[in-house]
Amino acid sequence: MESLTLAWPLAQQAFDPSNLPLVTGSPIDGHFSKAMLLVILVGAVAYWCLQRGVVRSKPLAIAGASLFGLACVMAFSAIPKPTTFPEDNSFSDYLEPVVKMCFCLLAAGGGLGFIVAREPVHAALGFATCVLSTCGILFMQHAYFIAAATMIVYAGATIIIFLFVLMFAQQTKLRIYDVELTRPAVAAFIATALLITITYSVSDEGEILPTKMDLTRSRSLAAIADNPESELPPVSQPGMRKEESAKFVPSKTSGLGRAMYTDYLLAIELAGTVLLVATIGAIALAQKPEEGVS
Amino acid sequence: MTHFDSQNLLIFGGVLFAIGLIGFLTRRSMILMFLSLETMLSGVSLNLIVFSRIHQNYQGQVLAIMVLTIAACEAAIALAFVVSLYRRKPTLDVLAWDELSETIMPKMPDALSEMSEPHEQFPTLTPAGLDPLSHPMPPSLDAAMNQQNSTTPANATEVVQRA
Repeated sequence: MESLTLAWPLAQQAFDPSNLPLVTGSPIDGHFSKAMLLVILVGAVAYWCLQRGVVRSKPLAIAGASLFGLACVMAFSAIPKPTTFPEDNSFSDYLEPVVKMCFCLLAAGGGLGFIVAREPVHAALGFATCVLSTCGILFMQHAYFIAAATMIVYAGATIIIFLFVLMFAQQTKLRIYDVELTRPAVAAFIATALLITITYSVSDEGEILPTKMDLTRSRSLAAIADNPESELPPVSQPGMRKEESAKFVPSKTSGLGRAMYTDYLLAIELAGTVLLVATIGAIALAQKPEEGVS
Repeated sequence: MTHFDSQNLLIFGGVLFAIGLIGFLTRRSMILMFLSLETMLSGVSLNLIVFSRIHQNYQGQVLAIMVLTIAACEAAIALAFVVSLYRRKPTLDVLAWDELSETIMPKMPDALSEMSEPHEQFPTLTPAGLDPLSHPMPPSLDAAMNQQNSTTPANATEVVQRA
C-alpha cells in the first residue's frame, strides 16, 4: 500500500499530457524514462501473475493479462503525440509513432505469450508473432533489406521449429518440463534490473552526432563520392546546426550493399566461412552414429 | 522527435532481450530455450539498426547482417544438437542432461556429509577354523611341517634330474 501511494504521484506526473514533450517540441526530459520504469515494473508483475496463473488458477492469469494490458496503455500514453490534428499531408507523421507503438506492443505481447505458454505449439506461435512484429518495426525504421532477410530467415526457422515441435512434443498430455519453470521470480528480477539499467542509460538527453564512415581508406565510400548514386552521409560543417544539415536516412539497399562490399568485405567473407563451417558441422552432428559406437 | 523515437526503440530492443533472457532462464524444453536465444538476438539486431539510424550511416545495418548470419549458424548447430541428444534420451528436458555439468556443490547438505565420510559396507564373512592366537599349533604338527620343508628341495632336484 505504501508503495502504491508513493507510485501514484509519479504516475500522475508521468502521464499528465501537459508534461509530455510535443513532436516538434523541446528535447526529452525525464518523464519518458519514469513512465517507462513504471511500465517495466508493471510488466514484470504481469509476467509473474501470468506464469503462475496459467497453470494454477484462472483468475490470476486474467489478472496478469489485464496488468499487461495496463502496461500497454501506460506505454502507449507515454509516447508523444501532436495535440492538433494535422490538416495537410503530414498525416503520416502523426500516424507513424502510433503504428510503431502498436508493433512494439504486439511484439511484447507475443514474447510474453511465448515465455508463458505451456503448450510448445502456442509458445512457437507467440515467437512467430514477436518476430514478425519486430520485422514491421524494422520496416518502419527504413531498414528494408534487413527486415526482409529477417523475415525470411526467422520465418523459415520458425517453420522448422514448428516441425520439430510437432515431431518431438506431439503428445496429448503436457510434459513436466513444459509445465514447470525454473525459478521464474529470480529470472523476472534479473530481467527487470537489466531493463531498468538499460532505460536509465538510454534516457540520456545528449545528442548523438552523425558519424561518417571511415573516409581514410581508398576503397571506402569516400572513393566513390563522385558517383551520384553513392550513398554518403551529409558532411556536417562545424558551424552548421543540426537542423540545417539534411538528415540522412540509411534506407537504400544499394548503399548497404556498397558498405558491405567495400568497407566490410573481409567481415562478409568471414561470415560466409562461418556459415559454411556451421553447415558442415550441423551435417556431421546430425548423422546417425554407427552401430557399436557409443 | 527522432531522438525520442530512437530512445523508445532502444528500450524496446531491451525489452525483447529481457523477454528472451527470462525465457532462457526459466524454460526447460531445449527447443524453447533455443527460441529464447533467437529472441535475444533479434532484440540486439533491432538495437543495431536503431543505432545505424542515429549515426546516419550503414555500419549498424552491416553488423545486424552479421548477427543474422550468426543466428542462422546457431540455429543449424542447435537443432543438430537437439536431434543427436534426442536420439540418446527421448526427452527434450534440459535437466535430463544435468550430469554433463560439473558437480561443484551437492544440492543437499546431507549429500555433502555423505560425500566427506563415505559409509562403506564391507562384506561380513562367517568365521571359519580356529583362531591361531588362542589355539596355537600342536608341536607334533610343527615337526611334521619342518620335515616337509626340508624334503621339498630334494624332491625338486630329483624331478629336474629325471627330466
